[in-house]
Amino acid sequence: MSDTAEKKERSTAMKWTRRGFIGAGVLAGGALVIGVGMRAGNPVGKLAPIVAGGDGEQLVNSWVKIGTDNIVTAIVPHCEMGQGAHSVLAQMLADELDADWDKVEVMQAPADGNYVVSDTARMFIAPFTMNAADWIEPTYEGVFKQLALMADAMITGGSSSIRSTGQYQMRIAGAAARKMLVGAAADEWGVPAGEITTRDSTLFHEASGKSAPYAQFAAAAADQPMDHSPTLKEQSQYRLMGKSKARTDIPSKVDGTAEFGIDAVPEGLDLSYAAVVRPPVPGTTVTSMDAEQAKAMPGVLQILNMGNFVAVVGDSYWEAQQALGSVAIEWSASESSIKSTADQFNQFAAALDEAGESGGSEAAGKGDFADAFANAPTTIEAEYKVPYLAHAPMEPLNCTALVKDGKCDIWTSTQVPLMARSAVAESIGVGKDDVTVHHPYLGGAFGRRLGSEYVSMAARIAKATGYPIKMIWSREEDTQKAMYRPADLNRLRAGLDSDGKLVAYDSVFTQRHDPQEACIPAMYNIPNTSVRVAESELHLPFQAWRSVDHSQQGFFIESFIDEAAHEAGQDPLDYRLAMLANAPRHMAVLKKAAEISGWNGESAEGTAKGVAIVESFGTIVAEVVEVDMSSGKPKMTNVWAVCDAGYVMNPDGFRNQIEGGIVFGLTAAMHGELDIVDGAVKQSNFHDYKMLRMNECPNIEVALINSGPIPIGGAGEPGLPPAAPALTNAIFAATGRRLRELPIAKNFT
Amino acid sequence: MSKAKLLAIGLGAMALSACGSDPDQAPVEQIVIRAPGETAPASAGPEQSGEEVDLVAAGQAAFAVCTGCHVAQAGEPSMAGPNLHGVVGRAAGALDDYAYSDALLASGLTWTQDELDAFLANPTAKVAGTTMVAGAVSDPESRAAIIAYLGSLSE
Amino acid sequence: MAQFKLNGEPVAADVDPAMPILWVVRDKIGLKGTKFGCGIAMCGACTVHLDGKPIRSCSTPIADAEGREVTTIEGVAGPDGELSAVQDAWISEQVPQCGYCQSGQIMAATALLRDNPQPSDTDIDAAMSGNICRCGTYTRIRQAIKVAAGIEQPRAERLPEEEA
Repeated sequence: MSDTAEKKERSTAMKWTRRGFIGAGVLAGGALVIGVGMRAGNPVGKLAPIVAGGDGEQLVNSWVKIGTDNIVTAIVPHCEMGQGAHSVLAQMLADELDADWDKVEVMQAPADGNYVVSDTARMFIAPFTMNAADWIEPTYEGVFKQLALMADAMITGGSSSIRSTGQYQMRIAGAAARKMLVGAAADEWGVPAGEITTRDSTLFHEASGKSAPYAQFAAAAADQPMDHSPTLKEQSQYRLMGKSKARTDIPSKVDGTAEFGIDAVPEGLDLSYAAVVRPPVPGTTVTSMDAEQAKAMPGVLQILNMGNFVAVVGDSYWEAQQALGSVAIEWSASESSIKSTADQFNQFAAALDEAGESGGSEAAGKGDFADAFANAPTTIEAEYKVPYLAHAPMEPLNCTALVKDGKCDIWTSTQVPLMARSAVAESIGVGKDDVTVHHPYLGGAFGRRLGSEYVSMAARIAKATGYPIKMIWSREEDTQKAMYRPADLNRLRAGLDSDGKLVAYDSVFTQRHDPQEACIPAMYNIPNTSVRVAESELHLPFQAWRSVDHSQQGFFIESFIDEAAHEAGQDPLDYRLAMLANAPRHMAVLKKAAEISGWNGESAEGTAKGVAIVESFGTIVAEVVEVDMSSGKPKMTNVWAVCDAGYVMNPDGFRNQIEGGIVFGLTAAMHGELDIVDGAVKQSNFHDYKMLRMNECPNIEVALINSGPIPIGGAGEPGLPPAAPALTNAIFAATGRRLRELPIAKNFT
Repeated sequence: MSKAKLLAIGLGAMALSACGSDPDQAPVEQIVIRAPGETAPASAGPEQSGEEVDLVAAGQAAFAVCTGCHVAQAGEPSMAGPNLHGVVGRAAGALDDYAYSDALLASGLTWTQDELDAFLANPTAKVAGTTMVAGAVSDPESRAAIIAYLGSLSE
Repeated sequence: MAQFKLNGEPVAADVDPAMPILWVVRDKIGLKGTKFGCGIAMCGACTVHLDGKPIRSCSTPIADAEGREVTTIEGVAGPDGELSAVQDAWISEQVPQCGYCQSGQIMAATALLRDNPQPSDTDIDAAMSGNICRCGTYTRIRQAIKVAAGIEQPRAERLPEEEA
């Protein structure tokens, strides 16, 4: 497959696998449809051997096991990459189960087809069925399980774990398990099930004074019929949901015992280590390798030319990496015409030029933009620009692999364990069922670990060596040979009527991946809107990066709205409020942001505030950033964020995610930039691909609004999109200088 | 959208999402030095004689820890730290391709062996404000060896 | 043969004297709490103490540890496993997200509070700015250091009633 074809195909695949998020927040709006979250039958017998190895552990259904010590274990299908999903999913299940939270444990579900997240898959593939699914029942469940299985849909991403798997699988599993326990006790005690109550992992029959821990009926419960539509708790009945329960994974993350992919030391295996180098320019390959010097270096076991990368296997990673540095490699010439950052942006500009004032493919259209713009007494135009960005999770990409007797075992940090399994199977020519993927905690991911190319690389090395290896990418590999948040160029035009009201809005850009609605300022009441895509090919491969299209579109839209407000001579927050007449939730969020940030109060000399509001992944977030420009350089002092996710399952965990999203967004806004030089990424490590650090981090205050009802919004991504525009809007308010190109820091050197 | 169309799209997505990994590729070239656990063969390197050669060799080995940030081959671009080829005898802050700290540029230092020794022993004490906040070499013998190695490169 | 004390226990490692402490501790001795992040002393994930001072173990050769005391995250708790005040505060403030950088953060904070039991915000910024947290937990790290120092109340005391 040619590089270009492969890139296109990958890009298409990504579009589909993430497309579902179009509707999660926009289309959803009815009551919770339950009863579709679990699959028909109870596969306990089949699953017990792989998930219930402990002494006396009883699996009640796919997601719940109970030990003889009455410990309830929630088996969660999503990975834990810092977002706290393990803990909150368990919280949701335990609440419906009436479990004693102090005796709840969490287990990572294995990479097995039985643990596909069919409801997340449904969100990805066909969001519009989330609410009005009746017409597709009863085949519905079978269809989505099959789709999810075929898609290897054991995915963690899209800020979806709580609002899909949590709402549609874990809660139902907990409620169903509770009902099965009650049924078993009722049979044994000879009393009506309706007379049995549950509390703190214990069954009670008040009339007879009988009580028993869940453990006593766990085995009998597994034989009870499973209700696929159990009654779920009303909000007023929640005991754990809505509470800031401490996360179950945190203790292991403060004493060094938490195991990340890079820490995996499979029992009984004597590991060797692989260092790798990939082509500097995407799509090129190794043409020759001179390893004479490396051969003589200490600790070196093997040197491999794998065609599209070179690996040195050694006794230690450090020795392998040292030796790799002395291997002289020639790479093939790239066919890409893009050699520099300027080439990439020139290509984008050419695409926008070609699209002109009305060309390109229409992403959204309302009214008659051309007419309204032509007749507007005031018009503004602007061009915005964002660079490529790397995900840069703190845990470098790595994978431990053993290939033996036609079977393969993989230990790695991944957001997509089943896709990784398929990728491995394909790359070393074995069946999927011959591959077992073990996936411990992820040291960050942010979308990077939705890709599996690093997993395949390790499997190929292990197949060649015949003994187990742990492959680790250097930070330089991770920065320079990764997949990226795309660069883009956006041209915007607006027409204002004589009152300054925005009556015409046009936006044209080159990158539209997901969510599809990210580029549309749908919440604002603008009578004539035109949003257009003038597709232009990326030189560096795309990968979903925290909040995906929202990361750049939030900046484009909310900066330009701010420009319109200033052009109209109006307060930017009031200007937005005036356009949100049909969006009461957004309006409430923005008003609350004004309130907690003291928006209308006096600012200290040299400081100013900026505001932005973005809805993404079902959650509305407004942020106010305060910046101090008195030194001539931006110093962020405070950020206030207000979020409406409908209902928040764990407020402190949610705030932590929003805080993280803000820092991620401010990092990109201040420092994030990758340049292309000679077709390759120039920046290599944290000295030139800079991160926000403690000394630059503002105070952050997060307020939550539970406007209800379900469906609820996500937490991992929505904090990010408003951060950059709120910051640049604040800098404008302080200095009158409009920054239309990120990152900011390079304007203030 | 019809049910059939929905399914078709879903299935299409499935087929695509399985794609994108590298095809089965055995190594193009596989050089096996030894198996894990086997003792390394005796060094086949050049016979070492003379104190100076030893010092340079020891320095090259000791320099390994510096290579996270520095290269010392002529013509290589600077990394997180400047290229150190020819650094001995050079004025501090001399390379055009490296963004030195203001502190280092203002230091007025020339990297004699003694100055390098003092800097390597404790970079931030020697030049307050240097961006070299790690990589101090506390062992005087290692410092001497590294400096000898760096000196040998510009000869 | 490098000989040094690791978390109070004498250890010996037969490795290249230039091998960084990080890789000796992780892959030769098998203590995995200390993390590899960048390899060039820019991120702080590998922070350990050498004779009580925080150093970047990815860029410090094992030869430098000869005869000295190395402390890693595994050596921060008391001998009976009792967590340190810093670790307790990290839990009370629910600091970690992915957690990968937190060993290094805790080592840096522990050293700060040992030298300066009542740090100001400026002191905290100065001591902690060498440690990157990509998840963005900086405000919680700052808070946790203050809680560990006794300057602020733990989170449990501050949570709104409806969330507790």
